[in-house]
Amino acid sequence: MAQEELEIEIDKFGKVTVKTVGIKGPRCLDVAESFAQILGQEESRELTSEYYETEQQVRSHIDVKRKY
Amino acid sequence: MSSVIVVAPIIIANWPVITAAVAAGVGSLGFSVVNTAELESAFSENMTREEIEVENSEVLDGSAGTGEQMVVVKDGIKATFTRDARGALKLCMEGKGKSKSELRQIGEELMGRVTQQYAYHRVVTELKERNMTIVEEGMTETESVKIRIRNW
Repeated sequence: MAQEELEIEIDKFGKVTVKTVGIKGPRCLDVAESFAQILGQEESRELTSEYYETEQQVRSHIDVKRKY
Repeated sequence: MSSVIVVAPIIIANWPVITAAVAAGVGSLGFSVVNTAELESAFSENMTREEIEVENSEVLDGSAGTGEQMVVVKDGIKATFTRDARGALKLCMEGKGKSKSELRQIGEELMGRVTQQYAYHRVVTELKERNMTIVEEGMTETESVKIRIRNW
């Protein structure tokens, strides 16, 4: 599994940048938004290619044969 | 990178949290916290004065009332943080031989550092509540605080 990271940078004027790294799909925005909401007023947002990628899903297929 | 959100913090806190942020923030600009009684002789006449209302702030009414204040000084400049009648944070800058615009600029720098410390405190508190662990933390060349959290 890729490493999921959250990077928070607070500049010397107090402005906060919340970045998500390695989180695919809309979940990345949920994580960043939840932090932005507790801090104050959102000024801008940028969605990069990973946002539009889907999370990888592992599926297994099991055949079950019934014995009569 | 997946998403980037930029936020302008709103300071909403009680007086003890704000004074902690002031104490932690002003030191990086060379200011130090003083007892107001010590100031009577050093700061008296011919002082230029500039007041800065801190937008997006609310000092919660709790243990401290409107009379609370915190004073920091550096090289003949005095900065007083108070809670105004509306409950917002106010910064009064005073200094001899300084123009109002110089005092405002210094005051805004001070407020930037205080806001930085407040936001840091808020983020760290939230991380603890969510049981998220910081894997790296440090100060950048541009004096930003950078925090990294991994695989929470």
